[in-house]
Amino acid sequence: MKILIPLKQVPDSTVRVKVAPDGTSVVTEGITWSISPYDEYAIEMALERKDADPSTVVAVVTVGPERSRDALRQALAMGCDEASLVRAEGAAPLAVARALAKVVAEAKPDLVLCGKQASDDDQGFVGPALAELLGWPHVATITKVVPAEGAVELWREVEGGHEVWKAPLPALATVHKSEKEPRYPSLPGIMKAKKKDIPERPLDALGVDVAAPTWTVVSMEPPPARGGGKILRDGDAKQIAERLATALRDEAKVL
Amino acid sequence: MATATAETGFDLALSEEQELAQRSARDFAREKVLPRAAEIDEHGKIPPEILREMGALGFMGTYVPERYGGSGLDAVSYALIVEEINRACASTGVVLCSHMSLAVDPILHHGSDAQKEKYLPKLARGEWIGCFALSEPASGSDAAAMRTTARRDGDSWILNGTKNFITNGSLGNLAIVFAQTEPGQKHKGIAAFIVEKGTPGFSVGKLEKKLGIRGSDTAQLVFESCRVPAANLLGELGQGFKIALSTLDGGRISIAAQAVGIARACLEDSLAYAKQREAFGKKVADFQAIQWMLADMATEIDAARLLTWRAAALKDAGEDHILAAAEAKLFASDVAVKAARDCVQIFGGYGYLKDFPAERHYRDAKITEIYEGTSEIMKLVIAEEILKE
Ligand SMILES: Cc1cc2nc3c(=O)[nH]c(=O)nc-3n(C[C@H](O)[C@H](O)[C@H](O)COP(=O)(O)OP(=O)(O)OC[C@H]3O[C@@H](n4cnc5c(N)ncnc54)[C@H](O)[C@@H]3O)c2cc1C
Ligand SMILES: Cc1cc2nc3c(=O)[nH]c(=O)nc-3n(C[C@H](O)[C@H](O)[C@H](O)COP(=O)(O)OP(=O)(O)OC[C@H]3O[C@@H](n4cnc5c(N)ncnc54)[C@H](O)[C@@H]3O)c2cc1C
Repeated sequence: MKILIPLKQVPDSTVRVKVAPDGTSVVTEGITWSISPYDEYAIEMALERKDADPSTVVAVVTVGPERSRDALRQALAMGCDEASLVRAEGAAPLAVARALAKVVAEAKPDLVLCGKQASDDDQGFVGPALAELLGWPHVATITKVVPAEGAVELWREVEGGHEVWKAPLPALATVHKSEKEPRYPSLPGIMKAKKKDIPERPLDALGVDVAAPTWTVVSMEPPPARGGGKILRDGDAKQIAERLATALRDEAKVL
Repeated sequence: MATATAETGFDLALSEEQELAQRSARDFAREKVLPRAAEIDEHGKIPPEILREMGALGFMGTYVPERYGGSGLDAVSYALIVEEINRACASTGVVLCSHMSLAVDPILHHGSDAQKEKYLPKLARGEWIGCFALSEPASGSDAAAMRTTARRDGDSWILNGTKNFITNGSLGNLAIVFAQTEPGQKHKGIAAFIVEKGTPGFSVGKLEKKLGIRGSDTAQLVFESCRVPAANLLGELGQGFKIALSTLDGGRISIAAQAVGIARACLEDSLAYAKQREAFGKKVADFQAIQWMLADMATEIDAARLLTWRAAALKDAGEDHILAAAEAKLFASDVAVKAARDCVQIFGGYGYLKDFPAERHYRDAKITEIYEGTSEIMKLVIAEEILKE
């Protein structure tokens, strides 16, 4: 089975996000970048398939700026077999999905695994859009994949249990979590990845325009600084409970 | 890398694989080791799964060539990894330092092909842990005054004596043991042996109770008519002391990296605390007295790290690194001890409590000024190097 994972490089979860002076973007100078966490789960899920069946081929691709090469290298170091970069600055999400559709048409994977959303914009757009462009079945937020004769069983967590869906191949699923935590690249994995080439081409080489119908950010604000709490001390339990109820209704407006 | 070599010029950029190695080690250390550091210190034991995973990630054989089952990276990558593990936990860090720099390294550099093939793959994968047995109850800094003897008997050597303070001594599966084959000849009569755990006559004596790095085992090793096959002589007869010294040159880079890791823990913990603790209506970080401590820490850590990287880069380039390693260890260990003292101070009363990491850093930092050559011995080495021209 060939599994393709489109991944996105995003600010690392340890980065303290700051709004840039333009008020519509975040400061990216000097920050650490990582593979988006749900994409990492997708990689881990695919690599677990590969651990179980070494004939599995796991490929990763990203549509992004030159710096996203580091994310691809990291995916190779985790154990992926192939990686390629479609170079684009600020491509609209739909343009990303269109570019990926071309990549899928060339690479002919049996299964595409996307993270359920990227941790920067949290749009959850590219996976379903790509399935739509490909005309493939799409199963959202899976936690496990099990091959079945020409098809895959896809597990989803639901309230109090799980559901198992079956999709004919080729199919696309978005990943919520893998069974194990994503593996760290081992040093031998890093050395193996070093020997691999990461081919690269610009977005327009795929005949895709960087522009597409999309949203724009109007403004961005950090959450307001949290005020200090309030302690209700005076009076007996009944009086304090009354004042608490009043405060919750009139001040916090949660009742 | 800050090297003095003509080919590399002056370039501080890490290679892609060095960065990836650093990142793997950092993520692993932060997620798997740091949450258990207080418990490791308290119970005096490192959970075996942590060491197993370090082996699986290839850390235990960082710069062992791939053909011997190692990871095939370099001494700079190793210094990066050592810093990251020690940032999280100095007890876990020193297991790696002693194993890799003091046991794996001498086999790699002085071992016969047969010895390398026999021992390196197991050691590099972390299936076996190694230790280095030089110090004795009556000889530390003056290691050549050792009393352990090795006497030839047919196809074996018979070892007798006691080694003291041996890191990984009870955890380890293999020891590099130094002994006098010609008592009275001092350093000229010393040889090195590879001795496997389980060899009759080789036993582990008492475990030391310590101020810091309490999760790391420090054991006495006892040799009583311990018969070691002649094939386990490491290097030549009479070369043991040279092997010990050149091994320690590399080991000092590793301890310098450990010290940088401990100092960085002090800085990062201090920054986080000072930004949220309030006194006199301000964040403690707003007081200049605190800012100056933080500024000194940051500057000294950078300087210590650069000295460490330079020494590692020289080692990778196959150049003389005696002076660079001694300078790095002398400076970095001093930086760590000072950073730990200031970290406790910045935490105020909480710095003195077990509930916060500052007091652990304070106890852990001190050892870096003692083992693998005390600070006084570092100055002795440095002075000898700069005076010899
Ligand atoms: C936790 C721990 C782990 C260790 N791990 C190992 C290990 O794995 N393997 C191993 O072989 N050893 C190990 N050691 C031993 C360590 O290397 C020695 O403790 C160290 O070399 C100092 O030797 P000593 O303790 O005998 O001190 P001494 O040599 O007795 O020194 C006492 C003091 O005198 C000073 N001094 C000595 N000679 C001179 C001189 N010529 N000029 C100026 N000052 C001098 C020293 O700097 C020190 O301040 C470990 C020690 C500890 C505490
Ligand atoms: C073992 C122990 C026993 C104790 N016993 C007692 C006791 O019996 N009775 C009692 O009342 N208390 C006791 N204390 C509390 C002790 O007096 C306080 O911990 C100490 O006064 C520091 O206060 P703090 O811990 O709140 O630190 P903070 O006041 O939060 O200080 C944190 C850091 O900020 C610095 N700082 C604070 N303000 C300024 C400033 N204006 N300018 C520059 N730097 C500043 C401090 O020097 C310190 O480095 C004890 C503490 C310990 C650890």
